[in-house]
Amino acid sequence: MNTLQADLLKGLTEAQSAELLALGVRRQYPTGAELFPLGAAAHSVFMIERGRVALTLPIQVQGREQDVMVEERDGGQVVGWSGLIPPHRFTLKATAQLQTDAIVLEREVLLSHFEKHPEVGYLVTRNVASVTGQRLQIFQAMWLREMQRVIELRCP
Amino acid sequence: MEMFLMAVCMTIFGVAVSAMAFGAATSDVREQQAATLDSKVDEALASMPERFFARDTAPAIAAPPPAVTVPSVPIEVLLAQIERHVRLEHAAAESFLFDPTAESLHSRTTSPLVH
Repeated sequence: MNTLQADLLKGLTEAQSAELLALGVRRQYPTGAELFPLGAAAHSVFMIERGRVALTLPIQVQGREQDVMVEERDGGQVVGWSGLIPPHRFTLKATAQLQTDAIVLEREVLLSHFEKHPEVGYLVTRNVASVTGQRLQIFQAMWLREMQRVIELRCP
Repeated sequence: MEMFLMAVCMTIFGVAVSAMAFGAATSDVREQQAATLDSKVDEALASMPERFFARDTAPAIAAPPPAVTVPSVPIEVLLAQIERHVRLEHAAAESFLFDPTAESLHSRTTSPLVH
């Protein structure tokens, strides 16, 4: 992973990125392992170094609850930004689709670092806003596309 | 008085004769109808296949037509289709963000779930 290209670290210098990453814990997730479940309290942000993570939501399929993938994230991308955004609960389930390495950054540690380095806090917060904003825009467009189909079905 | 009694007797006699004539005339029709109905029932019973211990049972009420069963898609196939649909929709939504127009918002995909 090129740290300067990572979602969370855009705009940071190499030294600032290295300092921030040193605050995290590297964890390995084998294929199929759960990074976090839906609805759990979110204390951490996960920066994917390598591998791929599926973000899923439960849906009823043929009378059975199934996890359906709504997004995929891979190296350099961040998952679990609910760890930084109130109300700090995961609104998706994250599962490793491949062998995945991630740097897990705890909220309390990050916030403490941001207090000492507000310029880093500003840039990281801006990056998180960019990730969340993009998610919002994509899902807004997806929702509207489905609405259009509902209208076409109901009022052909 | 004698004339009055004679008129009453004649009236009663007339009514009795009319009643007898009417009864004789209609009894033939009823018997004929009953005979026709019996012969129809016999024909219906005769047309039924003979069943052991159930030769004279009334014809059963016709069973409702079997429910139309939609061939169930294996859940793995359905989940794969949903996943493909989500990927295609996600890509279409991303392309809308790069080029936000009404056309790109409602562009068609090859997803089997929308056709």
